[in-house]
Amino acid sequence: MSAQDTVLVVGAGPAGLSAAATVAAMGKKAVIVEKEDVLGGAPIISGYAKLVPSGEWAKDAIGRMVSRVEGDGNVSIHKSTKVSQLDGEAGNFTATLSNGSKVEAGSIVLATGFTHFDSINKPEWGFGTYEDVLTTSQMEQMVATGKIQCPSDGRVPERVAILLCVGSRDRQIGREWCSKICCTVSANLAMEIKEISPSTDVFIYYMDIRTFGLYEDKFYWKSQEEFKTKFVKARIAEVTKSPDGRLLVKGEDTLVKRPIVIPMDIVVHAIGMDPNALNPEIAKTFGIGLEKHGFIDKAEQYTNSQGTTRKGIYTCGASTGPEDIDTSIAQGQSAGSRAVADLFSAQKVAV
Amino acid sequence: MAIHEKTLIDPDRILQHDHLVVDGVDVSGSWNTMISPRTLVDYEPDFEKIIQSYGGGENVHRCWQCGSCTNSCTMYAQNVDFNPRYWIYLIRLGLKAELMKDKDIIWQCVSCNKCTNICPKDVRPEGVMKATAHWLEENGYTPKTLSTHFDEEFTHQCLEFGRIEDTEVMMGFFKRSGQPLVQTWIINFGKNLSKHMPLGQLAKMGLNVVFRPKTKSWGRTGEVLAEYVKTQKEAAHHG
Ligand SMILES: Cc1cc2nc3c(=O)[nH]c(=O)nc-3n(C[C@H](O)[C@H](O)[C@H](O)COP(=O)(O)OP(=O)(O)OC[C@H]3O[C@@H](n4cnc5c(N)ncnc54)[C@H](O)[C@@H]3O)c2cc1C
Ligand code: SF4
Ligand code: SF4
Ligand code: SF4
Repeated sequence: MSAQDTVLVVGAGPAGLSAAATVAAMGKKAVIVEKEDVLGGAPIISGYAKLVPSGEWAKDAIGRMVSRVEGDGNVSIHKSTKVSQLDGEAGNFTATLSNGSKVEAGSIVLATGFTHFDSINKPEWGFGTYEDVLTTSQMEQMVATGKIQCPSDGRVPERVAILLCVGSRDRQIGREWCSKICCTVSANLAMEIKEISPSTDVFIYYMDIRTFGLYEDKFYWKSQEEFKTKFVKARIAEVTKSPDGRLLVKGEDTLVKRPIVIPMDIVVHAIGMDPNALNPEIAKTFGIGLEKHGFIDKAEQYTNSQGTTRKGIYTCGASTGPEDIDTSIAQGQSAGSRAVADLFSAQKVAV
Repeated sequence: MAIHEKTLIDPDRILQHDHLVVDGVDVSGSWNTMISPRTLVDYEPDFEKIIQSYGGGENVHRCWQCGSCTNSCTMYAQNVDFNPRYWIYLIRLGLKAELMKDKDIIWQCVSCNKCTNICPKDVRPEGVMKATAHWLEENGYTPKTLSTHFDEEFTHQCLEFGRIEDTEVMMGFFKRSGQPLVQTWIINFGKNLSKHMPLGQLAKMGLNVVFRPKTKSWGRTGEVLAEYVKTQKEAAHHG
């Protein structure tokens, strides 16, 4: 294996898996370095339920992407591993891995993804204080078990409240971005809850609904019209507990111009997508720049779409900002083929 | 949208005839109640800028109407008509007449800053309340607050004499705000002072009140300062 026929892919979420498969399909070698001991990224590690928009279970859909690279002779995989040092330059990189081995690569794809917002940073919304306050990923795990019940005592919830934009769009906590997918994921989650537990009513508390493109009727309208999800225009200020053990969501219903204190049985935080917490370390190791929010910075938009600020290093998926799976996969293909194009031009120079 | 509560209807929009007979049917009193529609006919686009020119109002344009401020508000908990989120909306669109309906409660903001601490857009609603109250006051829509009276007397003395004299400031403040000059707490304060203070010091304080010493060579400085303050204020509010 020489540098001229190898692309190093860091991170094996939807974006990295797609990049590696693209490199391999073009007849080149892909070396995957993944810090966790499983492949698949957030949808597998956090145990998502049915994906938006396909409706397929995450473990099946992303599972197929994993087995595609695992069964490919052109792909080699290092799990529970990180890149600890990078030497050389575009066309001739040498990466030293935390497991001691060295990888020579002509180009690199960073598919290091995002970190889930930690709801502990918004204590007023009760996460960590009350057992029945959950995040969307925890609620997805509950949906995956096929049973909807309050963690505190196992009762079937009469009402579930989903609070949007938790950890997104909030200057107070330095998160000045929209996480893009959580509106759609929440509308979908509301339908999944109703499907499993028809006696449960779901309320979504929103400031704006951003079910972009074709997600409008498929998720927002369907959730409202067919699954009777109630959409309430209010940003909840506080979640507390009433003496009878139920949760209380407090806020202002801005349309009615009146305070609300509504009993709920489960409160779900639609958590946002933070920059990967390791980005400062990644930026240092790979010599690349980060943009102002802390995501990986991109090169010129129109002629080098997947480029980072360093020649020969590309990026894709949620590493560059909140992104959905489908787009992450498309960007993975794009970054993968751009990285392979570098190998070809390096060969031309060598001849 | 349907109107949910009668309290939301302005009294002057409720039309009712005490005696009315239509086609031989007596529909006197509440049987003929009509409510005239509340149509907003225009915006005052400059109004937001005016509020922004007052200290604290600078960030009002950032608001996206989430309601977090109102919900966390100390005063809202006492009175649901105290609604910073709603007023900010009116300010942003320049719906001045609507805002004016609440002019007598806006000043009630206690500056607890709960709103500012929760606002996701860093609008600083507490500042907006302050700015709005100042605007109302400066335009004579509301009587001056005690703190404005105090500030004015304080500034007046600085400009006039180049220094302030505590007793004078208090007296001027009481005069301006229409409070009795002799307040019980002052009498008690004076009694205590005379008990514990040497006579010479007391006499000096008394003389200062009568003779009003000026800062040395203050001269035209006060006038220049006053002029400067005036132009700065004008620039801020009309710029
Ligand atoms: C609650 C929730 C539900 C969602 N549901 C949907 C949905 O239904 N449909 C949809 O389209 N999108 C959904 N998303 C968005 C989806 O999670 C992302 O689009 C997707 O995971 C992005 O893929 P990625 O490969 O870029 O990043 P990730 O999935 O984050 O994968 C990154 C991988 O890189 C690894 N890694 C990170 N740093 C390093 C390092 N330094 N060295 C080595 N490896 C590293 C990580 O361990 C991980 O395996 C959801 C998001 C949330 C928060
Ligand atoms: S997608 Fe929706 S819930 Fe998520 S941050 Fe954007 S507006 Fe908020
Ligand atoms: S500062 Fe004023 S507006 Fe803000 S929460 Fe306190 S009382 Fe309400
Ligand atoms: S909390 Fe901030 S953004 Fe929300 S309504 Fe109040 S001022 Fe506007």
